[in-house]
Amino acid sequence: MALAELVQYVATGLLVGGVYALMSIGLALIFGVMRVVNFAQGDFMMLGMYLTYFYAISGSVDPLLGALLTIPPFFVLGWIVHRGLLARVTGGGDPQRQMDAQLILTLGLSLVITNATTMILTPTPLGIRTGYATQAFALGPVLLNQARSYAFAMALVLAAAVYVFLTRTDLGKALRASADDPEAASYQGIDVRAMHGLAFGIGIALVAAAGGLLATYYPIEPTVAGNFIVLMFVAVVLGGLGSIPGAFVGGLVIGLVQSLTLLVLPFQLQNTGVFIVFLLVLYFRPQGLFGRRARTV
Amino acid sequence: MLTIASLGVSYEGLRALVDVSLEVGAGEFVTIVGPNGAGKTTLLKAISGTVPSETGRITYLAQDLGARRPSERAALGIAHVPEGRRVFPSLTVMENLELGSYRRAARAGRKGALDEVLALFPILRERHRQLAGSLSGGEQQMLALGRGLMAQPDLLLLDEPSQGLGPRIVEQIFETIDRIRRERRLTILLVEQRVVEALELCDRGYVLETGRVVLAGRREALLADARVQRAYLGA
Repeated sequence: MALAELVQYVATGLLVGGVYALMSIGLALIFGVMRVVNFAQGDFMMLGMYLTYFYAISGSVDPLLGALLTIPPFFVLGWIVHRGLLARVTGGGDPQRQMDAQLILTLGLSLVITNATTMILTPTPLGIRTGYATQAFALGPVLLNQARSYAFAMALVLAAAVYVFLTRTDLGKALRASADDPEAASYQGIDVRAMHGLAFGIGIALVAAAGGLLATYYPIEPTVAGNFIVLMFVAVVLGGLGSIPGAFVGGLVIGLVQSLTLLVLPFQLQNTGVFIVFLLVLYFRPQGLFGRRARTV
Repeated sequence: MLTIASLGVSYEGLRALVDVSLEVGAGEFVTIVGPNGAGKTTLLKAISGTVPSETGRITYLAQDLGARRPSERAALGIAHVPEGRRVFPSLTVMENLELGSYRRAARAGRKGALDEVLALFPILRERHRQLAGSLSGGEQQMLALGRGLMAQPDLLLLDEPSQGLGPRIVEQIFETIDRIRRERRLTILLVEQRVVEALELCDRGYVLETGRVVLAGRREALLADARVQRAYLGA
């Protein structure tokens, strides 16, 4: 195998992995702060793809910009879903029963969103046409698809913005403190319930934006969540449950492994490699690549 | 400043506090002593709102705290330094301190408070970039205290600051508490199992046993009380 071919696969994998990383950060933030496993994460991604599509169709908004424009409405949507539904089954009460209720709630939410979207928007796959989706940057013999390159760059910028928010602002630090120790956080005057709403809003907004970026090169359909939710979970566990930097690296690794798997296996089996790596990590480093024992964001 | 009137709390099906009444005046240093499981920690949590009170009334600065959430109580100037220190392990020492002055009224004075806390605990300055989870127990207690002071509180609740620490560090912590109190006339409510040290520091004290106040009085009176001497001072 030529070196150039290997580099090509690595580059493609990293480009795709950047978008996975952005999706996974949202899931990790929600889990880290709220201890809620959000099965509906992929469905919010799917809704983000549709919103980006409608921006493109009705306002001829470029999907890269459209992806950014999904952030405000999905932040609000996440906040409302937390207030109206999740807040009933988080924060206090018997942890085991709460966990059951959370799983059923987010799983139910996922089913409702998928099926409602199928009913209203029909299952026909849609796509956004852009000039750059079929263009490539040539770096010597290596070709980088332009849509994926732009999506990757935007994902990186958004992930960096989240990182700066979490480490440089009072609100971000309060979010991380709430993940570490909600009771001690409340003693500092931090409203933990509001932090949950904030975490869910940001988590949903990030995955919707990632969906918008994905829509520049991936077909949009109501059941698209299924192809990604598993990857997100693997990325989050790989990185160390609830760790934001971990989820970011986890996402990149998954893109890379998916791509490199194609060197040895056919396209339909591209997730096989992901699961093999996942099992190996769980076996040799069960706390994940970036996991510490303490819960962290 | 703080008035508790016939407070009753049940905790996991047990009656943790029964008809507890006590008062802390502005500028006072009040101690609550008693054996393990007497309900001391529950009492502080009831004041902060992380344990719901069933009966009775908690009044702080003429406001009924009953309906207020824990974060709102902290915003009113009640700083709770919890049992077991409870620093934020994945945040740095500096971030822990910064969050101490998260409440709106404390943000403007953050810089000044930080200088004071770092002067009080120079070790925290040395460790300011380290993760709080990597500190020793004594250092974590200093951080927890420092975090509480960063709130520039009107009322400081201290829950077992000596717990699990070596004698030298305990002495240092008590000395610091005494110093804070003398320098700032801060109102302090301290809960302790180390009865002698705690009573010697305070103005007034209460003895709590199985959820009830069994004895109350000024420092000298409590230290001289035959029951206290028998039960706690080994006399």
